[in-house]
Order: sequence, then C-alpha cells, then structure tokens
Amino acid sequence: MRVAPPQLHELKELRNSINSMNSKNSMNPKLTYAYYPGCSLHASAGEYDLSTRELFKALNIGLTEVPDWFCCGATPAHNVDELLSLSLCAKNLELAEKVEGDLAVACAACFSRLKFTQHTLEENDVKRKQVEKAIDAPVSLDGKVKHLLEILAGDLGLERLSAAVNKPLSGLKVACYYGCLLTRPPDVPNLDCVEAPTIMERIMEAAGAETVTWTHRMECCGANFTLSRPGVVIQLTNAILDAAKAAGADCIMVGCPLCHGNLDIRQKEIEGVYNVSYDMPVFYLTQLVGMACGLPPHKLGLDALMVNPMPLLKEKQLL
Amino acid sequence: MKKKKMLLSTETMDVNFVRKVEALSGTSVRRCFQCGKCSAGCPMATFMEHPPNRVVRLLQLGQWQRILAGRSIWYCASCETCSTRCPNKVHLASIMDALRKLSWDAEGPSKESYVQLANKLFLQNIRTYGRQYEMRLAAVFNVKSGQFLKDLMLGPKLITKGKLKMFQSKNKNMSDIEKIFSRIEEMRNNGEAL
Repeated sequence: MRVAPPQLHELKELRNSINSMNSKNSMNPKLTYAYYPGCSLHASAGEYDLSTRELFKALNIGLTEVPDWFCCGATPAHNVDELLSLSLCAKNLELAEKVEGDLAVACAACFSRLKFTQHTLEENDVKRKQVEKAIDAPVSLDGKVKHLLEILAGDLGLERLSAAVNKPLSGLKVACYYGCLLTRPPDVPNLDCVEAPTIMERIMEAAGAETVTWTHRMECCGANFTLSRPGVVIQLTNAILDAAKAAGADCIMVGCPLCHGNLDIRQKEIEGVYNVSYDMPVFYLTQLVGMACGLPPHKLGLDALMVNPMPLLKEKQLL
Repeated sequence: MKKKKMLLSTETMDVNFVRKVEALSGTSVRRCFQCGKCSAGCPMATFMEHPPNRVVRLLQLGQWQRILAGRSIWYCASCETCSTRCPNKVHLASIMDALRKLSWDAEGPSKESYVQLANKLFLQNIRTYGRQYEMRLAAVFNVKSGQFLKDLMLGPKLITKGKLKMFQSKNKNMSDIEKIFSRIEEMRNNGEAL
C-alpha cells in the first residue's frame, strides 16, 4: 500500500499540536538545568556565557554550573585518541549527574562530543567497558544533554518565548549559521533535521527578526584550524561571510564559540586578505534573543564583539 | 621526479592494518562503492592530496602507507559532512580519527606537523590545567612552530576585549583528570585497549 506524503497543512497542524503540548508543560514548575559552559565560555567567548546567564535569568530558567567541570577534549582529543575523548566526556557527564536537571550546553563542540559519547557508549559495549575502567566509575547515560537552542525552542517553547519578547527585532535580517557540529552526524545530536534544520530560524521569528535564505549555513568554517592552519580558516570563513552578504543579511547568528571566533575575530584579517568590506556583526543566539527580551547591551556583552554591532543596532532602532 | 606507479601486489597490501582501522572506527571500508559524495561535500578536499573517497579506496586496497605519508588525514576538519551523506553508512569521520590515531602512535612519516603540534598542546593543557588555557596554547604553539609573529596583532585586541585570560587557575579535581590519562596509558600498555 502506498502512503501519500504529508501535505503542508497537515505538517502545520502537527507542529501546532506539538507547540500546544509544549505549552501544557508551562503548568510544570520552573525549568532548571545543570550548566556546562565549556572552556571557551570562560575565556574567548565570555560574552556568550554572560548573555546566556542573563537571558536565562530573564526567562526565569534555573541554571547551576556543574562544579569542577573540565575540558571535553573537543576536536583535538577525538582526532588522535577516541578513548580519551570518550572518557573525558563520560567523567564530565558523571559530574553533571550530581546537579539537578538536564545538562544545558552552550558550545556546539562540547554539545557534539557529549552527545557522541552517550551515543557511542550506548551502542558499543567494548568501548563502554574500557571507558568505565578509565574513569573508574559506572557510566550513566540517563541524563539528557541539551543545546541552548533545544531549551529555548523545545522545553520553554516558542509560544512562551515570543510572550517574553518585549522589544522585537523588527527589520533585522539575520543569517542563521549552524556550522558543523549542531546537527551532524545523523542520529547523534538529534537537534533538528541533519541537512535542513530550521530551529534557529524559528527562534529568530519568535524574536521578531527576519531570516534570510542562504547557501553557507551548514558549511564548515575551519574550526580549530584557527591555531594551526589559519590560512585554511580564512579561505573557508571568507566564503561564509561572502554568502551571508550576498543573501542581504545584516548580521550572522551563531551557537558555537569557534564559529564565532572565526567569523568575528578573524573578520578584519579576512577583509584585508581579500580586499573586501563585510562589516558584518556576528552575534551569539543568546545575545539576539536577550536583546528581544529587553536586556540592555552591557548584560549581553555586546562591547566584547570585535565587529562593532552598535551602528547596525542604531540604524535599525533596536537600542 | 617522476611519480612512482602504484603497484598492487601482496607486498604492498596490508589488510591487517585495514582491519585495525575498522575495529577502531567501528565502521567497514568494504561497504564503499566509490560514489564520491564524501569528497563532493568535503570543505577540505581542495587542501588534500587524497580526497576522502580516495582515502577509502586506498584502504580497500591495503595501501595505507600512502595515506599516512601525506597530509590528507591532518587536513580533515571533522565536520562530519562525509559521514552524514554516505549512502552506505561508512562513517568516514571515524575512519579519519582511527587513521590519525595510528599515525600519531606510530610517529611515522607525515607531511603535517602543525596540526599534530596543536593537538598535542591542547591535550597537554587538559592534563596540566583541566580547562583550556588559550593564551598558553597560542603562545607555546607559536614558539614551537617558529612562527613568532603569527596573530601577534590579534593578541592585544583580544586582551582589551577581555577575550584572553592572562592567568589560568588549575581545576580542583586535577588528580581525577590525571588518573583518566594514566589509566588509559596503563590499559594500552597491558594490551587491554587499542
């Protein structure tokens, strides 16, 4: 028997029913999370940490930092030693169990590694036993790991998010940049569709902004080659900035401190190398959502951005 | 110099190595039918002498020395696009991880040293501080790679923006972290883990 593909209106109904289920959750007590900021948020991405804490406070979502968390190993660890990478993440997951609530992760790389560890250890008994020996503790995979995007769009829900918006980002054209690790590989992060995610766009619509359709939202920026092979990063990141500009975006939104580092910190250098002018502010998702929720610039760390966003925000009358 | 012709014989084939790669990565290279989707989507393919599909083909033929002698594996950004798009579910990103590990362990001939150096310093930082100390990472990398002026202009800007910490305190649970590293080394010495 052939099953007809779902029609658009059926999908919309489905989404509405999911949204209403989410809004029923609003009867539940206050949302609370354990928080794994990751190394970058305590250093080069301090504004991501600040804006996350301030936004969650404004939305009345509890956030408790996992005590004594340490580096997840990120790309360098799994690049050369998968067992080490899995063990570092498993130990951090164990530390997170001691704090109430699901684990909220801001950095896309930490998010990817923690989810990958859960996925691998669930499927592979040999690796699981090796990791248990390495961390000298049983591995518990019950705790849920969630990226901030999932918390805003899923747990809190878009309805409640748009209800909290009191300064909509009207007229701001945002290019949502996913990068590599938020959705890939398939079946692991389960954040959204692996090739055509819309979770960032949905959040930006709830915040009152416009989103652009563009080509490079899932292309790699070169990530941690920023230290060892900056030439590669400059080439890849230039293509991303160029595509965002061509699509008519005013700014780019990211959910990863490494993408941000390459797009924002290296932007001036890229402009010099290619003799172009982008002047494209790059925001963390929490900064844009925070602005829509009426938080002042100093609570969002806007002054820490290398590409000054103030002229754009003044022009769009968002300050 | 003229390029050597690739000879396929029992002497140049080493299937044991390939089985090791398959065990480490948990995926089979034999499933690949060379459609080339991995290389089509790979953002780094232009920087590699062997694009991803050829890496798998060389593995199928047991020609691993050719892969490890080049820099292809060190130019993989781990973006996972190849694994996502493979119609045969060959987890190419994990194969790259396995190849890098075997190359790293063997300390064999590789054209790439900068990425290896950066990885090594990154892991050393975890073992020493628990969390990443970005300032030290960049400074030591520049000294050890002899690129003293690399990103020199960026440093002061980052410091004024509060993006670079001058000092890093160590985690309180450093002994737990050290134990993870030493237990893994012990397991490898005892042959309990690859």
